Amino acid sequence: MSTATIEAGHRRRSDHPGRLGNALFGGSAWSFAILVLILLAGVMISLIIAALPAFRTFGIPFIWTSTWNPVKDVYGALSPLYGTLVSSAVAMVIGVPVSLGIAIFLTELCPTYLRRPISTAIELLAAVPSIIFGMWGLFVLAPLMQKYVEPALIATLGKIPLIGILFQGPPYGIGLFTAGVILSAMVLPYMVSIMRDVFETVPPQLRESAYGLGATTWEVIKTVIVPYSRVGVVGAFMLSLGRALGETMAVTFVVGNSYHIKASLLAPGSTIASSLANEFAEADGLQLASLLAEGFLLFVLTFSVIGAARFMLMRLSRKYG
Amino acid sequence: MTDATVDTERSRATRTVVQRRLRINRIVTSLSWTATGAGLFLLFWILTDLLLKGAGTLSINLFTMNTPPPGSAGGLLNAIIGSMLLTGVGIVIATPVGILAGTFLIEYGRGTKLAEIIRFVNDMLVSAPSIIVGLFVYQVIVAPAHHFSGWAGAVALAIIALPIIVRTTQDMLQLVPDGLREAAYALGAPKWRVIVVVSYRAAFQGILTGVLLAIARISGETAPLLFTALSNPGGSTDMNAPMATLPVVIYKFADTPYHDWQDLAWAGALLITFSVLILNIVARSFAPRTGK
Amino acid sequence: MSETKPHLQPIATDMQTPRDVAEPALEPKIEVKNLDFFYQTGHKALRNINLSIADRCVTAFIGPSGCGKSTLLRVLNRIYDLYPGQRATGEVRLDGENILAANYDLTRLRSKVGMVFQKPTPFPLSIWDNIAFGIQLYEKLSRADLDARIEWALRKAAIWDEVKDKLKRSGMGLSGGQQQRLCIARAIAVKPEVILMDEPCSALDPISTARVEELILELRDDYGIVLVTHNMQQAVRTADFTTFMYLGEIVEFGPTEQIFSNPKEQRTQDYVTGRFG
Repeated sequence: MSTATIEAGHRRRSDHPGRLGNALFGGSAWSFAILVLILLAGVMISLIIAALPAFRTFGIPFIWTSTWNPVKDVYGALSPLYGTLVSSAVAMVIGVPVSLGIAIFLTELCPTYLRRPISTAIELLAAVPSIIFGMWGLFVLAPLMQKYVEPALIATLGKIPLIGILFQGPPYGIGLFTAGVILSAMVLPYMVSIMRDVFETVPPQLRESAYGLGATTWEVIKTVIVPYSRVGVVGAFMLSLGRALGETMAVTFVVGNSYHIKASLLAPGSTIASSLANEFAEADGLQLASLLAEGFLLFVLTFSVIGAARFMLMRLSRKYG
Repeated sequence: MTDATVDTERSRATRTVVQRRLRINRIVTSLSWTATGAGLFLLFWILTDLLLKGAGTLSINLFTMNTPPPGSAGGLLNAIIGSMLLTGVGIVIATPVGILAGTFLIEYGRGTKLAEIIRFVNDMLVSAPSIIVGLFVYQVIVAPAHHFSGWAGAVALAIIALPIIVRTTQDMLQLVPDGLREAAYALGAPKWRVIVVVSYRAAFQGILTGVLLAIARISGETAPLLFTALSNPGGSTDMNAPMATLPVVIYKFADTPYHDWQDLAWAGALLITFSVLILNIVARSFAPRTGK
Repeated sequence: MSETKPHLQPIATDMQTPRDVAEPALEPKIEVKNLDFFYQTGHKALRNINLSIADRCVTAFIGPSGCGKSTLLRVLNRIYDLYPGQRATGEVRLDGENILAANYDLTRLRSKVGMVFQKPTPFPLSIWDNIAFGIQLYEKLSRADLDARIEWALRKAAIWDEVKDKLKRSGMGLSGGQQQRLCIARAIAVKPEVILMDEPCSALDPISTARVEELILELRDDYGIVLVTHNMQQAVRTADFTTFMYLGEIVEFGPTEQIFSNPKEQRTQDYVTGRFG
């Protein structure tokens, strides 16, 4: 190619469409990213504002008052708060060992060709919308609990001195315990997938040296894998707890909607989410404000748990790259 | 005592220790197998129940008639349309916002403190209970306007979908090798072109997966809609008014003593679950192998 | 003397062997003056670099790993600008203008100075679009002109015959050697004046390497080429001038023939005879 043609080819556009495009694109990217922060701030602020009327009327005792009387217009958040905490606790007590068991299975015991299908199946369980769990709980699980499981529990665990108090009373089928069971089913796939990820961060050499010394599968898990991934495992549990605390539809059908606090797990109760779902549409005035105040409490509860969990997981990933 | 007896005694002691360890191991591993079996059993139980109880109500009426008062024949048409509308609008809002926000985190802010903070907050929002989102949108849109509306519902769904899309966009853009970007810059391309033509193209499949998963997630959400779009017995498509959606209709119809309503609830549950599962499976088949 | 040297043999092609460069270039295409370069950590990767690069010649940078040859190459099109914290001080004059100046337009720089990377980097686009991408940054051509330019670039990169029937197929479906020639075509298509090549053959098999080296010798007629290579024989085969670098400094610079057969510095002698590297 001659010099002349190359010189001629060096004609350039002198304008810079790039600069305008960059400004627009970069500007919108930045603003939408900031939007994420604004969203969190917005949620926080709007809920605080929403909660103020109730707290102004009832003061801090709102948190530990258990009355809920629309007729007299006196409200307290204790019963739903109690129900939220108890049902989530039941969910964790059932869910933690089961999900640990499944995570162990998937990482150590499962034959390789089954690994993908089974983990996909468990993850599909996570995709099932919570209202489906709620319906299934109402029509399938609750009758089962009423007819078989709860009578059995009352007859066995109910007779044992201390924990027996938890398993008393007529087997309604619905109640905090059933809600807890459904919740455990809901958070199960979530816990399994995070735990499996966390277990897989353990370096293979570590596992191999433990097996090489003659340790059994359980021993490898107990002494190597869980301690190594301890922070991640706890983070996984906390994230799942956060999920369970805020779960609405799975619980609303089966929790019983009672505002009385009973010692027995088998008694009906309510959670913050379920009371919101049930009463919001028709509520107004002070009742509405109290419901919103409950929502604020739920926000504080869930976001502290989730925030702490994410913080721990962030430190874990920073530590191990 | 001869050496031989000491040895046999020692080996007998070792053997019992080993046997005990093996026994414990066997118990734990069988518990593991049981747990997994239980989990899978649960999945199949729920899906089968859905099929059995919902399939019976599947008919053309389901897709052509609106929700009826108890006792009359009807379908779920208004709920289906409402769900599709709100999910559609929600995704249309959330997708560009989410993709651009994720783009900022990787293409502009990589390594900066601001990006770290945003990433952390976004991860928290991913796990946020959807009922809280519903309350927020209620406070911000419904209360000032004094009425529930389809728009409020769509916004609530968009807020739930947003962090999911931001997260997947982030993860996928991070996988694009820097060499590709450098080659584009070396040709003199302005930054936005490098991102749109090279980074987005390379990360396309993964980002699409994220959007599909977000759709699957919000189409099943009920709680936020209870505080925003509420429901509507008629076949309205007016976004300014309350709008019926499948999840809310199921919620309303399930816990009632009317059998035809319960049947419709099961049919709706079947519809939602299988669409969500299919979306999930399709999305996963799209997803580029990340080594999982 | 020749017994201690590695056996260096240029590829027999019917292109001329590295030129006799008795005629000095009048005005160097690129002139580097007192260049220092720092990474984000503060580490000084280049020290007081002074260098002249002639037009229509191949200049090679050789040296052991970590000597700074790639770093120096990447200063010449300021691609390091993408990474905040990396900085260069001193002057680099392209056609007399200092490209390190804050107000020097980077887009203009990159239209004059193209780059080919070590790992072939075809965009996730069709072959046609890969080439068109660069062109369309600078010129508004009609469809026919665009087709003509793309064909010209692909021919110049000696890959036209292999891809002319699959222009609409993805660039990523080509073999490694073909992808690299595609990247070269892409760089040529925007009609630069200088082409920077960062170890362009290190990821390629010997046959593709030979083809790319032939290409370099052809392109030399029209462009200034700066070639980083860890393969000394490649420098002998293709380069008119060679720069030997060590630990961020230029040890010696001169006509290739002289660097390899009669180096002035002992370190150069040690490197080219394989005593270290």
